[in-house]
Amino acid sequence: MIQSSTSKPYKNPSKGAGLPSSTTQKWTSLLNNDSSRAVILQAIVLALVLFGLWFLFANANENLNRLGMTFGFDFLQVTAGFNISWSLIPYDPGMSYWRVFLVGIVNTLILSFCVIVVGTIIGTVVGILRLSDNPLVSQLARWYVEIVRNVPLLIQIIFWFTVVFSTLPAPRQSYHLGEWLFLNNRGLYVMTMESALSWGWIVALGIALVASLYALFRWSKPYYTLSGSRSSGFYIGLAVWALAAGWAVWSFSTSTSLSVPTLKGFNYSGGAFLPASFGAAFVAMTVYRSAAIAETVRAGMQSIDRGQHEAAFTIGFSRVQSLRLILIPQAIRSIIPPMTNSWLAATKDSSLAVAIGFPELVSVFMQTSMNQTGRAIEIIFMVMGFYIFISLLISYLLNKYNDSVQYKVR
Amino acid sequence: MDDLNVKNQPALKQFVPTPPRPPHKSERGVFGTIRHRCFNSIGNSLLTLCVATVLFYLVKHVLDWAVFNAVFIADNRRQCMDISPDGACWAGVISWFNGLIYGRFPIDEQWRVNIGVLLGLVWLLPLMSKRIPLRNFVLLSWIGLYPFVGGYLFLGGRFGAELGLVHGAMTCLALAFLVILYANWILSALGKKGLNELFVPLVSRFVERRIHLLSFVAVWLLVGLVIAFGLSQIALEPVPIDRWGGLFLTFIIAGFAITMAIPVGVILALGRRSKLPVIHWLSMTVIELVRSVPLITVLFMAVTLLPIFLPADMEFNKLTQVLVAVCLFAGAYMAENIRGGLQAIPKGQYEAAATLGLGYLHTMVLIILPQALRMMIPNIMTSFISLLKDTTLVSIIGLFDIMLMARNIANDKDWVGMHTEPLVMISVLFFILCYSMSQYSLNLEKRLKVDR
Repeated sequence: MIQSSTSKPYKNPSKGAGLPSSTTQKWTSLLNNDSSRAVILQAIVLALVLFGLWFLFANANENLNRLGMTFGFDFLQVTAGFNISWSLIPYDPGMSYWRVFLVGIVNTLILSFCVIVVGTIIGTVVGILRLSDNPLVSQLARWYVEIVRNVPLLIQIIFWFTVVFSTLPAPRQSYHLGEWLFLNNRGLYVMTMESALSWGWIVALGIALVASLYALFRWSKPYYTLSGSRSSGFYIGLAVWALAAGWAVWSFSTSTSLSVPTLKGFNYSGGAFLPASFGAAFVAMTVYRSAAIAETVRAGMQSIDRGQHEAAFTIGFSRVQSLRLILIPQAIRSIIPPMTNSWLAATKDSSLAVAIGFPELVSVFMQTSMNQTGRAIEIIFMVMGFYIFISLLISYLLNKYNDSVQYKVR
Repeated sequence: MDDLNVKNQPALKQFVPTPPRPPHKSERGVFGTIRHRCFNSIGNSLLTLCVATVLFYLVKHVLDWAVFNAVFIADNRRQCMDISPDGACWAGVISWFNGLIYGRFPIDEQWRVNIGVLLGLVWLLPLMSKRIPLRNFVLLSWIGLYPFVGGYLFLGGRFGAELGLVHGAMTCLALAFLVILYANWILSALGKKGLNELFVPLVSRFVERRIHLLSFVAVWLLVGLVIAFGLSQIALEPVPIDRWGGLFLTFIIAGFAITMAIPVGVILALGRRSKLPVIHWLSMTVIELVRSVPLITVLFMAVTLLPIFLPADMEFNKLTQVLVAVCLFAGAYMAENIRGGLQAIPKGQYEAAATLGLGYLHTMVLIILPQALRMMIPNIMTSFISLLKDTTLVSIIGLFDIMLMARNIANDKDWVGMHTEPLVMISVLFFILCYSMSQYSLNLEKRLKVDR
């Protein structure tokens, strides 16, 4: 609309330059005037949208009344009453739908987090292998990427579930690694450590130890950069830290016991359990994501000028040094934006695990809970709100990081 | 600039690079290359050997399973297992092949699907020829008119009865357009005037302006009437939408999404670039909201919320709901592609268009969008590929696309538990489709670069 105003100046009478007197001409001048036309157009669009929304909500109201339902989030307090096959946070069928929502969120986040971490590592390796001088290696990497990328993710998930994980032996004949890892068609049983201390304390202690070490190095850095050696205060601090760490490890090891999975009847008890559906979804999504990330990494590495590589070699950098100091910092700039999209896609793709019954958000909340309560509007609103929140959060954080690594243009 | 300087100063000696020396004798030829690139160091030689061994065993096992030990003729899975326990049982896939392609479409009526798909392809064929004028118009006509022909053939029913008169009339016009298109193509190859010029002498007696347009409309209506007469003599067996399935349904959903993605995307992208705040914020909200949720939740939303939010007396089948959702989803993603293209257009293009006195619509349709779309063809093709892959998601909400048909083979009493072969079969199919699309897009990208 803005363009047209500049393009048709002869139809756009300036104010005060003899406005036409008859009413029809006033109307046309109102339509051809730039600012008034913008207002009219926006008012029309807004009115249409508002009317559309009103129409939709009036229908919804009528339909809900007809079905004898009301809108509201009170159902979240109601007991869910169904079982969830796997949950990281404590859950039993006597808990509320709100708890089901939380279980779904935690399972979704765990699955996508694992996929993002492992997928990024494998993807980076494959992406660098694609640039290998060895034609056999680079072609292998290339066909891995091509095959994985061009087959729909859903087919791959179902393939891993029905063809690989479901055909593993029954619990009695499960594959095992010593006494601490059992793999069968129900899933993976791993030995775990059970501590008398609560896990929150252990995690908090670990974080405190790492943070204090970081703070120590940070504190001694100015002296180190000036003199080239550490101050005596640094060594004293380090000794105190080592003592504290030793005490922490000792008290941890005395208070823990091993929980070994043992066969009881038809199933294992003890240890930690990962269901086969998690395994299949994890493997399929990781493979799929790694192919996408490999392409991103390859494109990023190829975007660096060859001269940079040669220049680093000329001034005597080793291969690792040139990668660490010259090549990767430059490649990261072009890799981060597509990598962000890839991670967002991984989070969204985790919803496909619904196809093999992994209890993530869509499966437990959008399918089971919706079928039981019939609260379609509220449930879809909550699930979509969660995904929108996660997307906005990840893209916000990575935009911040992206701003800090981009070239500073003044 | 450099050339000019050289001409002005003839005394300046030009830099002639020494041609590079040919590689060493040991690096020339096939064996030289292999030795140089695969066995140039101990580590690399080991790597090569390891990769070669792994590849050999991988290929051997896959070929053994899929070809050498495979069973192609059997009545049920038990027979397959008896003949060759560790090979693929393609007999099951072969016996279900019809279902994988056509879903539960009645066997006697499947010729209609074939003809419909063939007509669609034939309609697009003139795009290959450079001789056809207004090639974009052919594409637009396909988008606008082909769905009527397809709907007529796939749904069936007596002419103008089950689907309504409007649909019937549009079908006739669409078929008439196709006839004129081909007639013109052949006539122009023979060096004669097009069919649409037939009435020009007649029309020019009555009116003075727009003679060619009126003549074209007259010819179009005439041919349409002839076709309408022909169609009214035939009664096709009606096929309800829930019998559609298999690869056919996958193509319908993907084709619809692909064709609707561009117009929806263009509108949303232009809206997002608009300087009017209301339009800008509305488009941006739609794009961002749709892009940040998974497709499966959009599909669930369409299936569960559309019946609630629309009047109770409106009848919906699942396919329509899915098409609405997919269309919105594809449009939002396409909008971001197109926006990238719009942002890459230099400001001078807008100013030049304004200088020529073009309005907003003309500027966009004639100057900006052709350049933006052309620049974004690789990204648009990538979006199309992921759309095609994403259509498999409709199987989760219970549409019998190729994915669900393949999973259903394992429930057939003759082929109980046969999961692997159908999955491998449709994986290969999707791989061929998507890989050829991506190669085509690479090819197109190269060609467009040469054009510039």
